[in-house]
Amino acid sequence: MPTPDIYSRLTAVFRDVFDDDALTLTPATSAADIDEWDSLSHVQLIVAVEQEFGLRFTSREILRWQNVGEMAEAIAAKLNA
Amino acid sequence: MPPRLRNPLLLLASYAVYWLLDARCLWLLVAATAVAYALGLAIERALQSGRERLASALTTLGVTAAVALLVAFKYLDFFAAEAAALLGVLGVKATWTALHLVLPVGLSFYTFKLISYLVEIHRTHLAAERDAVAFAAYVAFFPTILAGPIDRPAAFLPQLRAPWRPCAADLAAGFRMALWGAVMKVCVADLLAPLTDSVWADGGATAAGWAFLLYPVQMYADFSGYSLMAIGAGRALGFKVAANFNRPFLARNVAEYWRRWHMSLTGWITDYVFIPLNLHWRDAGRVGQAAAVTVNLVVIGLWHGANWTYLLFGLYHAALFLPLIRSGAFARRKKFRAARWGLPSRADAGRMALTYLLVAVAFVLFRAPTVGAALGFFAHLATAAAFAPPAVAGFRLLYVGFAVAALAWEYVARDRACPLDFAAHGLLRHRAARWAVYYALLALLYTHASGPAVPAFIYTQF
Repeated sequence: MPTPDIYSRLTAVFRDVFDDDALTLTPATSAADIDEWDSLSHVQLIVAVEQEFGLRFTSREILRWQNVGEMAEAIAAKLNA
Repeated sequence: MPPRLRNPLLLLASYAVYWLLDARCLWLLVAATAVAYALGLAIERALQSGRERLASALTTLGVTAAVALLVAFKYLDFFAAEAAALLGVLGVKATWTALHLVLPVGLSFYTFKLISYLVEIHRTHLAAERDAVAFAAYVAFFPTILAGPIDRPAAFLPQLRAPWRPCAADLAAGFRMALWGAVMKVCVADLLAPLTDSVWADGGATAAGWAFLLYPVQMYADFSGYSLMAIGAGRALGFKVAANFNRPFLARNVAEYWRRWHMSLTGWITDYVFIPLNLHWRDAGRVGQAAAVTVNLVVIGLWHGANWTYLLFGLYHAALFLPLIRSGAFARRKKFRAARWGLPSRADAGRMALTYLLVAVAFVLFRAPTVGAALGFFAHLATAAAFAPPAVAGFRLLYVGFAVAALAWEYVARDRACPLDFAAHGLLRHRAARWAVYYALLALLYTHASGPAVPAFIYTQF
């Protein structure tokens, strides 16, 4: 289970990458909810998330995420592993 | 009408249309659909039972088979002939009997639908379709089988599960789209075609400048016109078909142009080629991005066919991206806002004009039969004869006026998918006034359609 700490760190990363200090995340947040979240910024976001948590994901893992909740689950799973 | 009645009818109609278009190759469409249907279910089953490797292997098998089909029909003769020529240069005598396979109608479009279906199931974004009839109707959907738009399964399959309620609003909206599409095709593209055809027929020796400047408009009117007719036909049947164009000549750089041109193809290639490559090369920063963009545009170029000109077309576009990647402009999306009088600001207009000219250069590569012919055309562009008034039978200056007027109206109506959606603009509030415009356009179509031999759509050849 993703902890609130994961979400708060993710929120900070998202705010930085999308340059929006008012941005809030829920597990259901997806690219459809954030204007700037497109195919290009997606990769910048992944790089920033990996740096923040000191993790490395495979392309297959990343391509399956459809929203922030699935991303957070994957982070939690890797951190607990 | 419930789906269990509507879908068989739709499938029958789609196969009947395909039969009329290309009776020889209907079996291929049916076979490819059946294989993808079975593979989709098998991939899903493998994922659910935790056999990731099997799921990946099945997906790879399906994607490879679809790509192999495309390669066999589109590229085999070309690569074999080029390889034989290369071996000849090296002193090895090789001969190749060209197979001259005729490209099955819509193959480039429906194989892309099948690939995205399998990949989306493997990515767990989509449940495999159990209803074989609905799945087959999605693949063969007759309004789009000829040349797209390429509908995605996640957006289209649910529409086949919903009951069909014929509605006057859909019918009217579909009619308006198809009418505007036909106007673009018949009154813009087909009226410019004699000029560009005749200029290209003698390699651009005279009036090359006219063909250079007008071919992008012709191409746009032809393909966006076709697309709107397909989207309109789909809409009249109650389906929402993917958009293909969004006023590409308003683009202020080439990256923006590709977000507005043939969107159902560029979106597909972004999802299945660009994003995976960009992710794979993410540690390389901008170099990785440039590499992913280059592969992406080369794939788009070669998708059109096997010719060095298409390869150059892709590489040239990729080169135009490099400064944008370097400056970061690539990733920035600036919404277009009109300045005074509803016109673009002077800076925007300048960028649009430059982008148009850069794109027109690419269209020379696109149109030229060989790289040599493209170079010859460019040489002619630099001569005085290039901009002399063209004397071409069947071409009048008035037709350029038609094109400008149509593009101007599309600009005014740029926030609407259909330029004839007057109600949305608060224009022509009276029904009679709207119908007067529709009848006027129908009359224009009638008087300008070139008899029984209306030229084919350019994109049906791909």
